[in-house]
Amino acid sequence: MTNTSDPAKATATATASEHSTATSLRLEGLCRRIGGRAILDGINLEVAAGECLALLGPSGCGKSTVLRVIAGLDPCDGGRILLDGRDISEQKPARRRVAMVFQSYALYPHLSVERNLSLGMELRGVGPEQRERELVAVLELLQLSALRRRRPAQLSGGQRQRVALARALLRKPRLMLLDEPMSNLDAQLREELRPQLRAILRGGRAPAIYVTHDQQEAMGIADRIAVLQEGRLQQCGTPQELYHQPANLFVAGFIGRPQINLLPQGDGTVVGIRPEHLRAVGEGGLAVQVLSREWHGASQLLLLESAQGPLRWTCDGNQTLGDDLRLGWERRHEHRFRQAGGERC
Amino acid sequence: MSALLLMAPALLLLLAVFVWPLLDYAWLSLQAQSVFTGLEAVPVGTLNWQRLLVDGRFWQDAWQTLRFAAVSVGLELVAGLAIALLLHQRWRGRGVVRSLALLPWALPTTVMALGWRWIFNDPYGPINGLLQLLGLATLPFLAAPELAWLATVVADVWKTTPFVALLLLAGLQMIPGDLYEAFALEGGTPWQGLWRITVPLLRPYIFIVLLFRLAQALGVFDLIAVLTGGGPASSTESLAVYAYLNAMRFLDFGYSATVMLGMFLLLLAGAGGLLLWRRQTEVRA
Repeated sequence: MTNTSDPAKATATATASEHSTATSLRLEGLCRRIGGRAILDGINLEVAAGECLALLGPSGCGKSTVLRVIAGLDPCDGGRILLDGRDISEQKPARRRVAMVFQSYALYPHLSVERNLSLGMELRGVGPEQRERELVAVLELLQLSALRRRRPAQLSGGQRQRVALARALLRKPRLMLLDEPMSNLDAQLREELRPQLRAILRGGRAPAIYVTHDQQEAMGIADRIAVLQEGRLQQCGTPQELYHQPANLFVAGFIGRPQINLLPQGDGTVVGIRPEHLRAVGEGGLAVQVLSREWHGASQLLLLESAQGPLRWTCDGNQTLGDDLRLGWERRHEHRFRQAGGERC
Repeated sequence: MSALLLMAPALLLLLAVFVWPLLDYAWLSLQAQSVFTGLEAVPVGTLNWQRLLVDGRFWQDAWQTLRFAAVSVGLELVAGLAIALLLHQRWRGRGVVRSLALLPWALPTTVMALGWRWIFNDPYGPINGLLQLLGLATLPFLAAPELAWLATVVADVWKTTPFVALLLLAGLQMIPGDLYEAFALEGGTPWQGLWRITVPLLRPYIFIVLLFRLAQALGVFDLIAVLTGGGPASSTESLAVYAYLNAMRFLDFGYSATVMLGMFLLLLAGAGGLLLWRRQTEVRA
């Protein structure tokens, strides 16, 4: 397993979260059990101040549970949650000073945008003048000023998401948690919002954990990605590391679209080769037949049949295909995994 | 034309069971029809209405009815919300308790009123039995005006709190749980959550409860008729009981209709006020 951390990019931009203190988060052997079943099984992670870590995994892998346990919404059944070196796992949610953006946004439906945003400050005893000042700043930052008197029901999905984010920023959190904040938005809006969200998360100095099942989103937003499956951490690293050096078969198959080709060898290993790394070769290589083809414009995806099983090949959209098609790859692009256990050789 | 035709069955039904009796009562309230007229209807103009305006017992009963409705519905709302909150939490045996909690509501009022009459019996009822056991004097629950009034309120709260709790529980289940989680993360306590989230979001359900329960409580008849008969000295008498007595004991049908209509007009004013209040709070919120 690789575990590198990007240097903290704590650039003090003039955002609503500029007062948030730089913090670092460390999970040590985090466990969560429900009825004897381990939902989280010894998660070790570190997130530096100003860093954004994406928790990526298929649905049901426990990634949202990690957030809930960190936030204190679910109990921690084992391990430690260290925020700036202090274990917070026994603290009440309110005391932890973490903010969370919920998948549903969890906006108070009976309150206007401004009341939604100022309620938390009210509860924390912030005076009316300061409330208004911070409210105006965050509305400005997230381009919500014109909407401050609207109710959540009168907002679009993207606007609601921004209100939820604004509320989280106003918490001045030591740690920012985001639970699939984009999953209720359409694909185009998601792509538009990604750079914005990235800038805002970088602007705050608090570490951020971003849960998603969408690898593109994870790669687009996060400094590092932690891949989770069945409550276990599979690999944690930069998007490049996950793509070039997948730690096991699961990560190899999960990261990269179209999916990696896995060719079982006779010696108990599996060779993985990404569809974009296959090349047409004159001599040698694997003889393949084209089964079907999807044209994507600049590229095309070919589904092929070979002696070693089916293959996916991404190639130039204009590539002409001869009758006698043979494919090869460079050795540096080859990944090799043990068939039993799936770890990288 | 065909629209009217299609609505006709419903309209006819409404006319038959609602509008016609109302018009009949309006007509009857302008007649004298009692033992003094040989039970024949004799037109007397607004004589019954003039009598109503100066009838101390009518206004006394109107006040008693209002007081009974306000206090018992108020208590039911508070107790119902508390029970709904309890039944909304997750705990073992909740399903059984949820069903059991509805029992008082399922009981016919007459039956439960008879039950309470026995419970309040002086000196043989269980409560007085308990008082005696503690070495205290028995209390004439149904024979002293204030105690009798309290007895009617207790019996009504016991019977209808489950209904209120059930409606409010349905409302609670409509509130997404993550609102409370977001609220907790922001530093809110559960008690603050009750006032900042639960009660505001329950408002439509509270309104329905008030509408149903006030209408029922202002027209209360069976509970009081069985438990106290309106006594002692008509101190627990409701308007519906008074109208019943006028017709069935004093055989004064014209005036009974007038009492009924008078009560109807008061109810209408109350319901109108409630609707107006709701519209205003909606606009403000």
